[in-house]
Amino acid sequence: MNAMLKDAADRPGPPLAARDLGHGYEGATVLRGIDLDIAAGSVLGLIGRNGAGKSTLLRALLGLLEPTTGETRVFGKPALAMDDGIRQRIAYVPQQPEALAWLTVAQMFDYLGRFYPRWNHAFARDTLARWQLPANKLFGKLSPGERQRVELVRALASEPELLVLDEPAAALDPVARRELLREIALRACEAGITVVFSTHIVSDLERVASDIAFLHQGRLLLHCPVDDTKERYARLWLPARLGPHAPASTLGRRSHADGSVSVVIERDAHGRWPDEAAQPGVRLDVLGLEDLFVEIAE
Amino acid sequence: MDASLLTIQPASPEPIYRQIVEQLRRLIAGGQLGAGDLLPSVRDVAAFHAINPMTVSRAYGMAESEGLLERLRGKGMAVAATVRPTQTQTQRLALLEPQLQALVRHARELELPADAVLRRLGRLLED
Repeated sequence: MNAMLKDAADRPGPPLAARDLGHGYEGATVLRGIDLDIAAGSVLGLIGRNGAGKSTLLRALLGLLEPTTGETRVFGKPALAMDDGIRQRIAYVPQQPEALAWLTVAQMFDYLGRFYPRWNHAFARDTLARWQLPANKLFGKLSPGERQRVELVRALASEPELLVLDEPAAALDPVARRELLREIALRACEAGITVVFSTHIVSDLERVASDIAFLHQGRLLLHCPVDDTKERYARLWLPARLGPHAPASTLGRRSHADGSVSVVIERDAHGRWPDEAAQPGVRLDVLGLEDLFVEIAE
Repeated sequence: MDASLLTIQPASPEPIYRQIVEQLRRLIAGGQLGAGDLLPSVRDVAAFHAINPMTVSRAYGMAESEGLLERLRGKGMAVAATVRPTQTQTQRLALLEPQLQALVRHARELELPADAVLRRLGRLLED
């Protein structure tokens, strides 16, 4: 713990930062103009529809692909030029891990244990058993779900300061998922680690995230503390006759078949809703994260 | 008090820290938690419910500033010594505030005049 605090003092920059990050494949733009600072100790949940660019963003943040515009930094260093010292402080679990397919799980962990200075052997052994993972099977012979679980154990056992998980919930049953969330919560509490994870299971994010980022069509629409999503935003529904009196909204506007309109509104700096919300006949709904997401992303 | 006494509904439109404070208020007002009772640590609540520890700290901090809880040196959080289960009428009324505000909101949406709603509410209360 003291060693980690000392590391923190030496650390020159935030765990992750992106400036004007853009990326594209074969003429199609996947990410555009992403500015993002992820503070030490935060747990950021990244949410977006399939194809919104979540995996690409995570990979670009870690320097695993070269952006077409802008740059990303990991602990203050350019992500594309990380040294081993920084690599040892990071753990990343992609959706479809491929690494070291020719080793058994036990051999792989033995090998990794020598690379990572803080490798936690007991945690690795116990969690493999609890998540019913065969230590003596070749990694390449495991099912995709098993591979991702092994990679999650690997990532946690390396005791990282920055943990990046791409859709970690997909490979886990509800019990193991809860266990992973608990592990994230406790480590954020005790070791002060920074976590970034993408998910489409919004309730996981609501439990454990301190901050949330909405990625939509390659743009970052929202990045704020998770409580703000419930306290600062709401949905205003206006009947057809009041449709023209809807406040101008940048976050989301939907017209319904009966002519009524719903918009996502935001409190101003004094905590007040726009004046239009006080008109008789309109309805103000405080939204859970999932509903807010649907309103914005549709 | 045990962390399992709290119920957390992540999908609710009410932020988790507010859910915790609201439950503490009710448990104290109802006498299930008495002056001096120790609360579970932030870590225990975060681990039991798999929620972010900062959310729990925020809830405890808010309850402390409201005078519901106090920090005991070396022991953690406890129900404040000044808290009594039989609160004043004003305090008990304050616990109804969220429901009253929801009622006002619904009445406005239905474009109902205040006197009609108050008449009906009065009759319900007299029953």
